[in-house]
Amino acid sequence: MDNVFHMHPRAAEHHQSSLDRVIPNESELTAGVRIEPGKSYGFFTDTTVCIGCKACEVACKEWNNLPADNLGLSGQSFDNTGALSANTWRHVAFVEKSGAGGVRAQEQQPFQSGWLMMSDVCKHCHHAPCMEACPTGALFKTEFDTVVVQQDICNGCGYCVPACPFGVVEVSKLDGKAHKCTLCYDRLKGGLEPACAKSCPTDSIQFGEVSDLQGRARRRVADLHARGVPQAYLYGTPGAPGATGGMSHLNAFFLLIDRPEVYNLPSAPSRPSRRVAPSLFSGLAAVAGLTLAAALLFSDAERRA
Amino acid sequence: MPTMSGVVTIAQESRFQLTDEKGVSHLFLLSPHALAEDDDLEPLQREQARVRVTYEPARNILGYRARRIERI
Repeated sequence: MDNVFHMHPRAAEHHQSSLDRVIPNESELTAGVRIEPGKSYGFFTDTTVCIGCKACEVACKEWNNLPADNLGLSGQSFDNTGALSANTWRHVAFVEKSGAGGVRAQEQQPFQSGWLMMSDVCKHCHHAPCMEACPTGALFKTEFDTVVVQQDICNGCGYCVPACPFGVVEVSKLDGKAHKCTLCYDRLKGGLEPACAKSCPTDSIQFGEVSDLQGRARRRVADLHARGVPQAYLYGTPGAPGATGGMSHLNAFFLLIDRPEVYNLPSAPSRPSRRVAPSLFSGLAAVAGLTLAAALLFSDAERRA
Repeated sequence: MPTMSGVVTIAQESRFQLTDEKGVSHLFLLSPHALAEDDDLEPLQREQARVRVTYEPARNILGYRARRIERI
């Protein structure tokens, strides 16, 4: 009876294992949230419960029909995908921590003290630098406040690649277009939870409305602090690391227990567009200074002649 | 260049899955030099049309690059 008690009320409507149609608003059953246009959706990735199973990577590749890449052994522990790329939109990072002198500790504290695992993904930034850099408008904000590349408009210029402070976007050498996580835009439109979050067996990846997720994440940090993990903090929530340099907040944010750089995340990402005005004015000042210097030199030479 | 015939069973952006006569599925990425656009793939998948794909191997991925796709 306990199972029935904790079950979502709508789950009782679908007791059979073989269905003749898609369940309407299925995300209510799987993620406890109804997906509606006009609201802001994202991921909360709690790295303390990630077990590195890579179910998210596989689910992403399966749903999006992405090819397996980086064939062969990488030599980087259990990591065979290496990094986010045009063909890998979820990447599980494996970071082995060693003690003093590079020796493995004999005793380990709970919550991933020896191995740090984190499922990295596009952050779907509130102020997305890739979108600001895109000259064709191929990158756009969807009705779910996520960032997606429209493949028929992308001309493969690659401006979005250096603009992304997280190194997420890549232009594919095979089709010449930019690719990245769409936060399963097609699934959201069909009322389905994104494939990676649905497949996560430990709920390390949680999908939902960003404001709800932020509250849930803050409670989780407080809980971890109470359980003796004082180093736990959020990355990408308003005012936290990762939401610096005009980024406001990240729709896909993380709970970390070590410095961001350990997880291959920038400690203080910023929007390149903020550097346009200083760069322009410093360039104009340099030209003006050189012109003035040249004018002084020539006028001095004319006076002597 | 080698060719393969079958039915387009999945289409996502410029990627599509072709299921051949033996029921084996293969992953293709549409080359920018192909005379087809991403938007042409979805109707083929919806109609379950039989197509012939001219392709070449792609480096470092489990898939092929489609150079030509035509209805048969």
